[in-house]
Amino acid sequence: MADVKAAAKAKGPKLPVILIANDLLDGDVVFFGAQGWTRDPRAAKVAFDAETAAFMEAEGRAGFVANIVVDPYLVPVEIDAAGFPVASHYREAMRQKGPSIHPDMGKQADYPLGA
Amino acid sequence: MYRYDEFDERFVRERVAQFRHQVERRLDGSLSDDEFKPLRLKNGLYLQLHAYMLRVAIPYGTLNARQLRQLAHIATRFDKGYAHFTTRQNLQYNWPKLKDVPEILDLLADVEMHCIQTSGNCIRNVTSDQFAGVAKDEVEDPRPTGELIRQWSSLHPEFAWLPRKFKIAVTGAEHDRAAIKVHDIGLRVLRHAETGEVGYEVIVGGGLGRTPMIGKVIRDFLPKGELLAYLEAVMRVYNAEGRRDNKYKARVKILVHETGPEEFIRRVEAEYAQLNGPTINAPEDEVERIAAYFAPPPYEALPEDSAILDAARRADPALDRFVEQNGFAHKQPGYVALTVSLKPIGGVPGDMSDAQMLAFADIAERWSFDELRVTHSQNLVLPHVRQDDVPAVFAALQAAGLATANAGLVTDIIACPGLDYCALATARSIPIAQGIARTFADEARQREIGPLPIKISGCINACGHHHVGAIGILGLEKAGVENYQITVGGDATENAALGERLGPGIDAEDVPGAIEAIVDVYLKERQSGEVFIETVRRAGLEPFKAGFQAFIASDEGARTLAAEPAQ
Ligand code: HEM
Ligand code: SF4
Repeated sequence: MADVKAAAKAKGPKLPVILIANDLLDGDVVFFGAQGWTRDPRAAKVAFDAETAAFMEAEGRAGFVANIVVDPYLVPVEIDAAGFPVASHYREAMRQKGPSIHPDMGKQADYPLGA
Repeated sequence: MYRYDEFDERFVRERVAQFRHQVERRLDGSLSDDEFKPLRLKNGLYLQLHAYMLRVAIPYGTLNARQLRQLAHIATRFDKGYAHFTTRQNLQYNWPKLKDVPEILDLLADVEMHCIQTSGNCIRNVTSDQFAGVAKDEVEDPRPTGELIRQWSSLHPEFAWLPRKFKIAVTGAEHDRAAIKVHDIGLRVLRHAETGEVGYEVIVGGGLGRTPMIGKVIRDFLPKGELLAYLEAVMRVYNAEGRRDNKYKARVKILVHETGPEEFIRRVEAEYAQLNGPTINAPEDEVERIAAYFAPPPYEALPEDSAILDAARRADPALDRFVEQNGFAHKQPGYVALTVSLKPIGGVPGDMSDAQMLAFADIAERWSFDELRVTHSQNLVLPHVRQDDVPAVFAALQAAGLATANAGLVTDIIACPGLDYCALATARSIPIAQGIARTFADEARQREIGPLPIKISGCINACGHHHVGAIGILGLEKAGVENYQITVGGDATENAALGERLGPGIDAEDVPGAIEAIVDVYLKERQSGEVFIETVRRAGLEPFKAGFQAFIASDEGARTLAAEPAQ
């Protein structure tokens, strides 16, 4: 994670990106979407250019200062055939889905892809 | 079992009230994240990949039925119906919400439990032998020592902000089942060779993580009554001189290593000579008061062997197998301790459902004097079962899905949460354990292989003890893919040793095959009666390296090599 973050700071993460954080109150993973923070990974807003990415990063900081989220950071994604932004790194992909050993828990259960 | 006195009760309740207030202030914004983080960590609350994680202390791994029922209740109400037992004999909830944590802490306090000092740079929960008070090779029950240390170290004002976390393990037995040589401090209760007096061997500077080390003996014999003052001297030297400049060099093992054991001992003894021992050491009546809580339960006078159990074992091969594998000789005639494996084939090592916890609480209450233990290999123990009752206990365990007869075998794998939960992970560990367990699922094959501790960590922090696994597996990242390094020859017992790497890292799908190749080398090389680790010690690493290399050079391994430049 430290590496992902450091890379993001040094040269900006590879586009396109989404913005991931944890909800302060519940602790679960949230994504920055068109209507603000959402729990649904399918509703994550995708930044294809540096300007949008910078805007989202600023929104992350604002959400942090406002005590809505903790630990916000940009995550590089690839858009799959169905249009879903899949995190390029397996760690972040795990956060989009939930534990691989419990398909019945986490995002994969609450927001099934293709549904 | 130890019962809270008024002081303990008040202290824990006050701490819950403080934390409730801290959470409120975090939520209304008067505490920043940076300010709140150390506070939540001091109360065992982490933020993980998918959610918060709450770590509950189980001092020296001992619980009663009421406590386990409460843990089950919390799992049902505030989590997803299960919890995870760890290598530090603690319990972790994977899905609590911050806003519920104060209420959870109150429920824990109702049954004399808490999460204090399960995280952060302080003296952590003291761990111990799961067969404390049971084992025949024991000089003395180590738990009164554990409890004494718990009381001394809880909120000790001088040691609340150490350079780094600090872990103490105690055993009272000859055979080390508490891994004391890989803890910051390891204590072994022993009898003085000449005088017969009871005291401690003190070992300092063991640890795993990115710089694994075996601890050094800094005192061959410490009289029992001097324990706390001597520990205080060790802690003072560490607190003053441990490196605060670099988190990766801040553990006491680095200090002992950098100063050298002789110089470290000199400094500790100099500090000890200056301390006013009597004001620090616990008064004898207090030591006795604590010890009385750990007095043996009211055993019945029984013959050594049980005709009922013998007959039942002859009639039921599954029962026979269970007792043979999971039974542990009890010092009280007519009794046995039973390891209850939390490693069913394909399950998650250390996980237990709320329903299983409730069933198990009933079993412990009815048949084991209301007592159960947590082991550092993520299993449970029924410490005092009448041999006559074993058939009934076995049936109840079977009904709860808790009768896997694999204690200590190749499928009894330690695995940290890894990338399925842990924010620090570089790779998954649980699915690797599941894959290996499925590969070796056949009972006859497991039995043929015999004792073989496999330990898996999902990053170099080594929470899964991989360095001291007879076979150790470390999950890393290599070029954006999970990659696993295999070591052989580690040992967590009194013969503590660190495993050595067999070769380059391999892909997840190749791990079970690689383990089979290593096991095949053992089966070929072993001499009569040798367990795996003994064969490694005698034959050396070379045959295992050769077997491993042959495996990765073979067809199944070709994929691995393609992705992995020769080294
Ligand atoms: C929640 C996630 C966890 C985090 C963030 C975490 C963090 C760490 C870190 C950073 C270290 C290395 C310490 C050092 O080298 O100075 C470590 C070591 C260790 N942890 Fe964990 N850990 C976690 C879960 C666990 C679990 C689940 C267990 C038990 C299964 C555990 C038991 C240990 C043990 C036994 C060690 C090695 C002994 C030592 O050197 O301290 N940890 N952990
Ligand atoms: S070893 Fe690493 S991955 Fe496993 S629990 Fe510890 S910190 Fe997490």
